[in-house]
Amino acid sequence: MRYNEKELQALSRQPAELAAELGMRGPKKGSVLKRRLVKLVVNFLFYFRTDEAEPVGALLLERCRISQEEPSGFSICFMEDPERKYHFECCSEEQCQEWMGALRRASYEFMRRSLIFYRNEIQKMTGKDPLEQFGISEEARFQLGGLKA
Amino acid sequence: MKLNERSVAHYALSDSPADHTGFLRTWGGAGTPPTPSGAGRRCWFVLKGNLLFSFESRESRAPLSLVVLEGCTVELAEAPVSEEFAFAIRFDAPGVRPHLLAADGPAAQEAWVKALSRASFGYMRLVVLELESQLRDARHSLALRRHSSWKAGPGHQKPQAPERPSPGPENGHPISKDCQPEDLVEERGSRPAGRGLAEWQGPAGLFLGRRQSPSLPETSYFSMLHNWYGQEILELRQRWLQRAWASRPERKNRDGH
Repeated sequence: MRYNEKELQALSRQPAELAAELGMRGPKKGSVLKRRLVKLVVNFLFYFRTDEAEPVGALLLERCRISQEEPSGFSICFMEDPERKYHFECCSEEQCQEWMGALRRASYEFMRRSLIFYRNEIQKMTGKDPLEQFGISEEARFQLGGLKA
Repeated sequence: MKLNERSVAHYALSDSPADHTGFLRTWGGAGTPPTPSGAGRRCWFVLKGNLLFSFESRESRAPLSLVVLEGCTVELAEAPVSEEFAFAIRFDAPGVRPHLLAADGPAAQEAWVKALSRASFGYMRLVVLELESQLRDARHSLALRRHSSWKAGPGHQKPQAPERPSPGPENGHPISKDCQPEDLVEERGSRPAGRGLAEWQGPAGLFLGRRQSPSLPETSYFSMLHNWYGQEILELRQRWLQRAWASRPERKNRDGH
């Protein structure tokens, strides 16, 4: 699949939701824990070598599951292969919870579900579609079903 | 730079909602000259969230390309040669090449430009924040009316949504004085779900607090609402809803994904 690395590099320089130096271990067997600067920008998790300006890599955070890994770590795995886990080590339980919460909410699909939920709730309570006043109530991205690809 | 391509491709092919689809002609693929020439390559494009995928055909099982729609603007383009209905995705960052695309007709061109212009994560987040704020207002309004109707005596009035002066982040107003910022409980991954959350397995509110850009209002946490209003209000709301909707046609309550 072709993509422009420069687009992702530019994105990695944008303000982050969260950024910290964490221990990171790749999904391959025998991977070693390495210190990485991990940066959450929109629905991408970038990871950098601690002294480099360009990221080593990026993870798109759609259709992923974030799980706690005792004692103060978490892992990210993706729906199509849940056995392949990216492991992260935090310095405290608190930091771990902070990251897990942020990562769970970082996907576009999560925001979409939130929006649809709020839209429904407001409609039930007020009888009005809250998106109508902005003229965006017909946009596909705000519909329950969306378009099927 | 590494990317979890297999997962990205899986997402592209999954049944998660597509925000726009259609055939577009594209230029500037690998191995082609940087300036547009020829009729371009006709591909099937799928927009999902802030990601634009292209496929050889509608039936393809692997995406050809990915464009990440962040930090870019979409505008009608000077058509190359005699190409009509062309538009370009231009990136703010220097040195990032624009993508040139062409639709089959003016309606498709307009639809694509509109869909792509609103594809960013930030746009979706703004709308969510706005609705979160409106929901908070609606619930607060309901609680106040309930309270005043208890004081006034029997016979409640039907609550109405409060007037919203204008949309947009500048309209963010502070949470009611009854709830000081210190009372807000930060959403944490392991917080026990409130009763309201149990009804809906999805969102538990967005944490966009400290690190959010200063132009966006401090968001409330959805889970906070449940704590704040408490069980009693939820029960009262249930009863009100039952009475209010008793005479209306059954509303289909659709759960999200």
